Amino acid sequence: MLSQFDYVKPLVLDEALAALAKEDDSYVLAGGTDLLIMLRHNLINARHIIDIKGIPELNELCFIENEGLTIGANVVVNALVDSELVKNKYKALHDAASCLASFQLRNRATLVGNICNASPGADLPPALLIYDAVVKIASVDGVREVPLVEFFTGVKKTVLSDEELVISVFLPDPGENDSSCYMRQTRLKGHDLSTVGVACRLDGEGKVSVAIGAVATTPLRLTALEAEINQRGISEETILWASNAINDHIKPISDVRASEAYRRHMASVLLKRCLVTLTGKEV
Amino acid sequence: MTVAELKHDEKGCAMETAHISSARESRVVIDLVVNGERVIEEIEPNMLLLHFLRDKLKLFGAKESCGEGECGACTVLMNGYAVTSCLVLAIEANGAEILTVEGLSKGNELSILQQEFVFQDALQCGFCTPGMLMSARGLLDKNPDPTDEEIREAMAGNLCRCTGYLQIFDAVKRAAEREREEREE
Ligand SMILES: Cc1cc2nc3c(=O)[nH]c(=O)nc-3n(C[C@@H](O)[C@@H](O)[C@H](O)COP(=O)(O)OP(=O)(O)OC[C@H]3O[C@@H](n4cnc5c(N)ncnc54)[C@H](O)[C@@H]3O)c2cc1C
Ligand code: FES
Ligand code: FES
Repeated sequence: MLSQFDYVKPLVLDEALAALAKEDDSYVLAGGTDLLIMLRHNLINARHIIDIKGIPELNELCFIENEGLTIGANVVVNALVDSELVKNKYKALHDAASCLASFQLRNRATLVGNICNASPGADLPPALLIYDAVVKIASVDGVREVPLVEFFTGVKKTVLSDEELVISVFLPDPGENDSSCYMRQTRLKGHDLSTVGVACRLDGEGKVSVAIGAVATTPLRLTALEAEINQRGISEETILWASNAINDHIKPISDVRASEAYRRHMASVLLKRCLVTLTGKEV
Repeated sequence: MTVAELKHDEKGCAMETAHISSARESRVVIDLVVNGERVIEEIEPNMLLLHFLRDKLKLFGAKESCGEGECGACTVLMNGYAVTSCLVLAIEANGAEILTVEGLSKGNELSILQQEFVFQDALQCGFCTPGMLMSARGLLDKNPDPTDEEIREAMAGNLCRCTGYLQIFDAVKRAAEREREEREE
């Protein structure tokens, strides 16, 4: 049995923000696939639950050409899997959404909940990081925007204050001739976070971006590695070099899911596979 | 130009628009439809949908096994979408339509999907079966002609320790065919 809390389901954003500001120990409830587990294990002391699913403005999933894609806080992961637009324009995000948890979980779990929960092994952050995602955050004091690279501050920690709520995540329009993919290694499909998850992007100008999950306290965008890949120019040699060099940029640990050595090995393998897939080179 | 809109429609899980609030330690009244019948019940806000169905409504079809979204034994349809009811608060189902395995048959007459589970030997101990049936129902309602991969994907969140899954897959596939045939007639 869960410990006791009160529950409110506001129908407008301002009401939710006021509720968050009013009481300590308030928690936002979206799909509940992380929150209910934390409640079940008494990992948090939630006295007030604020269910945001009644707020229509958080349902937005909307793409504007030359601007980008807005994913509201209530958009569930299966809505991304079902979206032809996401599949065509942001393939890595589609790949990552498709492999998250199980079908039932994806009907509830939201993308915004996935980033707010800030698990180092979550699948969606790497796919968002390569697209320079920006997080839109609201509180009674107003709205601010934070690039996703600055959003995560540690294991299960973000820049959000207790009074803040994420409204949406924005991904700029990647334009023409952009391709990307996400690949992960996991113990069991449908039932586990990734052991390592790598997202790569090859943009219209031939520039590579790389992000990776489950190898540090936060998901990482590997800008230094990208710079060197782009300076060398994409070739078979560069791909081989990068798949070794990635190990200088990550700090994996050993845990129940895998040893440090295995994570390092898989980071290398997955980066190689991603780059081979995107460039068509044979290595 | 807007080229993509939220696919999960008004009845979708993401949009549950009835306002409700409760004080801590106080009870609250929820109003929902379960297996086609309107239900109004007083609950505590920390009650899980799974426990509401089993303990309050005495619908024992949905099973509690892991209690953490891993096994699918507690799967029910909420506004047409398969969800694990161990990860949903009963209060979140206020205003929703819930379908459990008890709502699949017409009296003693099993639905096509249930019949195929019998014909294809898709159960042994039967513990996973209500969840399996509800995941399959959720799939076939949205996608009456699924590919093999779509069937596997929709059922991947349901674990079975007895059958080895092949018969379950066959049952869903055959049920989809029979339901399509029936619709064409
Ligand atoms: C069995 C199982 C398997 C899983 N497998 C995977 C997997 O393979 N890959 C993966 O990445 N994840 C996996 N997960 C976790 C995944 O389901 C969650 O991370 C999910 O995406 C969180 O979204 P939610 O809507 O359910 O969030 P909730 O549980 O509602 O919220 C999560 C946290 O974020 C906060 N929050 C939610 N929305 C907001 C907001 N708008 N503003 C501020 N704070 C907010 C909540 O207060 C809470 O602390 C799995 C979970 C389970 C139970
Ligand atoms: S009991 Fe709900 S998924 Fe296992
Ligand atoms: S029939 Fe026994 S668990 Fe599936």
